[in-house]
Amino acid sequence: MAENKSIPKTMWEPIAHEERNKEKISRPSVTYWQDAWRRLKQNKLSMLGLIMIAILFTLAIFGPMIANHTYSDQDLNLTNIPPRFEIYKIDKDTFVHVRRDYTLIQVSEDGEILGKVEETEDNIFQRYRAYKIEGKDIKLDYSLAAKNKDKPNAKKFMLLSDGEELIPYKKVFNKTYWFGTDALGRDLFIRVLYGARISLTVAIVAALVNFFIGVLYGGISGYMGGKVDNVMMRIVDIVSTVPLMLYVIMLMVVMGAGLKTIIIALGLTYWVRMARIVRGQVLSLKEQEYVLAAKTLGASTWRILIRHLIPNAMGPIIVALTMQIPSAIFTESFLSFIGLGVSAPMASWGTLASDALGGLRTYAYQLFFPSIAICITMLAFNFLGDGLRDALDPRLRK
Amino acid sequence: MNKVNNNVLLEVKNLKKYFPVRKGFFGGETQYVKAVDDITFHINKGETFGLVGESGCGKSTTGRTIIRLYDVTDGEVIFDGAELGKMRESELKPFRKRIQMIFQDPYASLNTRMTVGDIIGEPIDIHNLATGKKRQEIIYDLLERVGLNKEHANRYPHEFSGGQRQRIGIARALAVEPDFIICDEPISALDVSIQAQVVNMLEDLQKEMGLTYLFIAHDLSMVKHISDRIGVMYLGKMAEIATSDELYTKPLHPYTQALLSAIPIPDPEVTRAKQREVLEGDVPSPLNPPSGCRFRTRCKYAMAKCAEVEPKLKDVGGGHMVACHLMDK
Ligand SMILES: Nc1ncnc2c1ncn2[C@@H]1O[C@H](COP(=O)(O)OP(=O)(O)OP(=O)(O)O)[C@@H](O)[C@H]1O
Ligand code: SF4
Ligand SMILES: [Mg+2]
Repeated sequence: MAENKSIPKTMWEPIAHEERNKEKISRPSVTYWQDAWRRLKQNKLSMLGLIMIAILFTLAIFGPMIANHTYSDQDLNLTNIPPRFEIYKIDKDTFVHVRRDYTLIQVSEDGEILGKVEETEDNIFQRYRAYKIEGKDIKLDYSLAAKNKDKPNAKKFMLLSDGEELIPYKKVFNKTYWFGTDALGRDLFIRVLYGARISLTVAIVAALVNFFIGVLYGGISGYMGGKVDNVMMRIVDIVSTVPLMLYVIMLMVVMGAGLKTIIIALGLTYWVRMARIVRGQVLSLKEQEYVLAAKTLGASTWRILIRHLIPNAMGPIIVALTMQIPSAIFTESFLSFIGLGVSAPMASWGTLASDALGGLRTYAYQLFFPSIAICITMLAFNFLGDGLRDALDPRLRK
Repeated sequence: MNKVNNNVLLEVKNLKKYFPVRKGFFGGETQYVKAVDDITFHINKGETFGLVGESGCGKSTTGRTIIRLYDVTDGEVIFDGAELGKMRESELKPFRKRIQMIFQDPYASLNTRMTVGDIIGEPIDIHNLATGKKRQEIIYDLLERVGLNKEHANRYPHEFSGGQRQRIGIARALAVEPDFIICDEPISALDVSIQAQVVNMLEDLQKEMGLTYLFIAHDLSMVKHISDRIGVMYLGKMAEIATSDELYTKPLHPYTQALLSAIPIPDPEVTRAKQREVLEGDVPSPLNPPSGCRFRTRCKYAMAKCAEVEPKLKDVGGGHMVACHLMDK
């Protein structure tokens, strides 16, 4: 109490109040999307997912354009070359690689493929092949292979230069075919990129179908309510009880297997989940007072749907979309894997994986690359979806 | 009621609004919530008609049925000579310009994904009132009219306070230049300090633009201040209608008396002198309301007749109408 006396009287005077600035807002305007983006940026995993998706899109679109082979170029002389291999030094600048079928290809020291070496003699009884490289007599003796058949780690062949046994010089990465080649000598890297194109086509189709059919269908059903809603939802039930596989098989009968069939099948069924989600959202949003206000203003059903209901349901729509897209990609891969999808020479990750199954024990890399591509894509979309779910949740809004 | 009055803007005759509620999972007989059950009243041009009653008595439903957010179960809604009750949406469109509504919740009544400019501009777009620069000017003008300013047009609703949002809602309603505005508890969600501000603004606008209001509220104190005439509702029925002065000085219906005695008076002498009648018990469910007079379960004057015969709303002189058997004597 005593201290109060020391406060000068002037301090008790009211602060001058600017009447005109009373309603002023000084905080910068932040929209819902700016706010969501700000929160999404804080989520490291989501940003990683977003970056991976961006890289995938860029590679899928531009990769095949700038590459010097196409997905269907084959070289039967250069089949099943792995992405990393052992080389033997023959001469100062001459190196060879012994393939799993005991033939020689000439390579450079840092791993470029120069071509197949033609043999001078192929003795299948004594199990050796003879070559003449740079004036040297090279003999590839694979008679040990038959003896050591059951011992996977034992020596299978000997490479002799002028009668002298060569030892592996070093291991190099394949500079010509980064992911190696497949059983028909096609560049696996280009084929995986090409598979990404197919996957992204499927992703885009799934997204469009979800958006234009799913969102509108669900929106109309939810907004109309009553009998209309009832009929529309029973149709959804019918569509969703028939398994996708059945649609694909039936369509295949009519129009043959291929990307078109899969896309149409996805188009017929992939909007169903989205329609249900949007309907649920709209059912709860349509009782909101701003919707009633729009109605009292005379807004048409269409206007209320497009301007009020769908924008406010956008959070759940986008989250559902980021979950639907990887599911569509996976479905396409799966269908292609079991032979119901795209057909040769087109390459989808699913067909690549299924093609690799034959030589799985010797050429495991052929399965590894398409599988990794599928995994990365799934993970990227799921990371992004998780982050979006948090970022778009209105309860977390600050 | 039967007076022919040229001044009448809105006439509500025997209005009923029942909401079906399905009983059990497999349908069975449908039950109805009789949210509004046979009410009759009128509103004169340029006046403010207050509608009061406890929560759940059907005030909002009355307002929303008049503006045809709900379909009419039965009865008539005559606005300026036209029967709105059975019109289709396309026929209603011209009336959507003349009747507007201000909502209770300032947070739910504005679409948060739209800028304030677009919210206020929406009625202009719907009725093709103006485009481009003209539209812009109308929006700025409306913002200023409700005490906001131009810069607010590019902002989003969440940046505003409750009072400011409610004023944006008012500006939106004014954009179509209506004759009649239904205010559904426009101030009950606001801070006490800004309630008066909004009420004063509504009164000023009424004088300026010659508006007619249906002002819904759940307590009498605020309604008295703003209304010319007041209707008291109980469980979907109109209990009493009178001018606000008369309702205060001479409340006749036991329910009105109870409501009035519940208003705190800022004078300890008066409060002590006055016997406070406390309304006991809860409002019965509108699914199966009491027979006869609906207020009988809580009325201290309830007689045998009250359970058997439903009291009709009767004029007891000078337009003061009461629905109670006590008036029969
Ligand atoms: N859409 C609806 N469907 C079913 N019942 C409803 C619906 N709207 C209102 N009701 C019921 O009708 C009755 C009247 O509701 P109403 O909203 O009109 O009350 P109110 O007087 O406005 O109350 P409050 O003061 O709480 O706003 C309530 O019992 C309510 O449960
Ligand atoms: S009719 Fe009877 S129960 Fe109803 S208010 Fe009058 S006295 Fe009370
Ligand atoms: Mg209400």
